[in-house]
Amino acid sequence: MKKAAAATPASVIDLRFGQVGLLQVRLREVDAPAIKAELAARIASAPQFFQHTGVCLDLSALEHPPEVATLRGIVEAIRLAGMITVGVSDASPTADQLAPALDLPVLAGFRQLSRPPAQLVRAAKAAAQPAPEAVSEPEPEIAPPPPTSGLVHTQPVRSGQRVYARERDLIVTAAVGAGAEVMADGCVHVYGTLRGRAMAGVRGDTNARLFCQEFRAELVAIAGVFRVFETLPEELAGHPVQAWLEGEALRFSRFGV
Amino acid sequence: MTEIIVVTSGKGGVGKTTTSASLACGLARTGKRVAVIDFDIGLRNLDLIMGCERRVVYDFVNVINGDCTLKQALIKDKRIDTLFVLAASQTRDKDALTAEGVRKVLDELIADGFDFILCDSPAGIEKGAHLAMYYADRAVVVVNPEVSSVRDSDRILGLLASKTERAEKGGTKVREHLLLTRYSPTRVAAGEMLSIADVKDILGLDVIGVIPESPQVLSASNAGTPVIMMDESDAAAAYGDAVARLLGDESLPMRFIDEPKKGFFARVFGG
Ligand SMILES: Nc1ncnc2c1ncn2[C@@H]1O[C@H](COP(=O)(O)OP(=O)(O)OP(=O)(O)O)[C@@H](O)[C@H]1O
Ligand SMILES: [Mg+2]
Repeated sequence: MKKAAAATPASVIDLRFGQVGLLQVRLREVDAPAIKAELAARIASAPQFFQHTGVCLDLSALEHPPEVATLRGIVEAIRLAGMITVGVSDASPTADQLAPALDLPVLAGFRQLSRPPAQLVRAAKAAAQPAPEAVSEPEPEIAPPPPTSGLVHTQPVRSGQRVYARERDLIVTAAVGAGAEVMADGCVHVYGTLRGRAMAGVRGDTNARLFCQEFRAELVAIAGVFRVFETLPEELAGHPVQAWLEGEALRFSRFGV
Repeated sequence: MTEIIVVTSGKGGVGKTTTSASLACGLARTGKRVAVIDFDIGLRNLDLIMGCERRVVYDFVNVINGDCTLKQALIKDKRIDTLFVLAASQTRDKDALTAEGVRKVLDELIADGFDFILCDSPAGIEKGAHLAMYYADRAVVVVNPEVSSVRDSDRILGLLASKTERAEKGGTKVREHLLLTRYSPTRVAAGEMLSIADVKDILGLDVIGVIPESPQVLSASNAGTPVIMMDESDAAAAYGDAVARLLGDESLPMRFIDEPKKGFFARVFGG
């Protein structure tokens, strides 16, 4: 049984801490009209991508803790943009006070929460005991370690399909069609034409990169920082390209030039 | 061995029914026993193109519901005696189809010794289209040389690889073929349409036939004659080639894919 919270045959729900796709909105200012205007402009480039998306508010970039009323205005601005605020990120020290006032939960860093409990147990045991003995005694409940090689996908990824490599790289040896999505916690490699969307480091790994043989992507994201390509830059279109994060900025370069 | 072939596309109006009718005739002309089924419940069309609309008594939904036997509902073609049509219901909606019902009809056709069963899919990716492809051994994906049609075909190819019985049971996958239709070499040359190479490249599949844009398609369907039966039509010859390739002839070169050479007068007077 590898389920996080084992269900009995009669149970009607499964409980698990899982990975869900949330848009992180980090506030730099608390000016609701300005936020609304900027959201509208940025969403216009990829409307379906944001429609009904859950939003996690990140207050950590603000110098002063905002007023509750101001935050309500911002939540409303986000709603008007077609998205739903579902929580406040724990990245800011004031989250614990502000979130309850907004009737929202505090959302903790996903990385720890999404790890299976057995691994946490093992980590704790390993820390508490001298290592050699702990290793020699097999732990029946230990989850297998995440695979180290990437997930290799040899079929074309067609429009409407999504392929996700959890806790590793994704290697696609065929084309990724327009309207298809390839995602990995690690790097994404496409040995074919990339016409759809590619997302690397989807659980926050800022070192993850995207590599593709023929770049025609609709959208590229790394650790949540994304760029939509309404028109393809001429210097990238059709070429082998890699993308990576430099601080907060997404960078692209062509191979072999 | 019966082969079940779905003719599908995602996008509407690209030429699925025209193609189903001509492929069915073309296969049956070689002596194979062929049944062609209209899955477009509520928008019955195939019987018109096949010219048997006035002979429809019972339809596909009637057979599924047990209102009649399969034999009573199969309409024998007047031109080719190994060809049979199973019409769609015009009065029901797509919910009248069920997976078990479709399976039952297919099994009965298989038991009857048909060589080919062609399933003319409705447009879209909803229930009717899903059931038309679900039991297929092969798929002919009909595509027009334009971006939206190619995009929808890519979506359909994804469903063929994941939402069919073969995909779900993990057996050999559905054999996929592309059929490019309404192809106009002049418009391709003018850059108004995608070329064969573009379509092949985007979808990563080989093309089993290229059917030119042809006014005869419309006159044939008005006459209730599948266009493949029209002598001296380019579209008929192109469908004939596609049938041969479907039956395994890989040596045929593609025809009607180059811009027609203009004659002297056309060149002088701008034709
Ligand atoms: N090669 C061709 N040249 C000219 N016209 C064509 C050609 N093929 C199809 N057409 C025309 O395109 C129209 C749509 O054809 P058809 O009904 O076969 O498409 P379909 O994909 O079955 O449509 P639906 O999605 O509604 O079922 C018809 O008017 C038909 O005459
Ligand atoms: Mg049709």
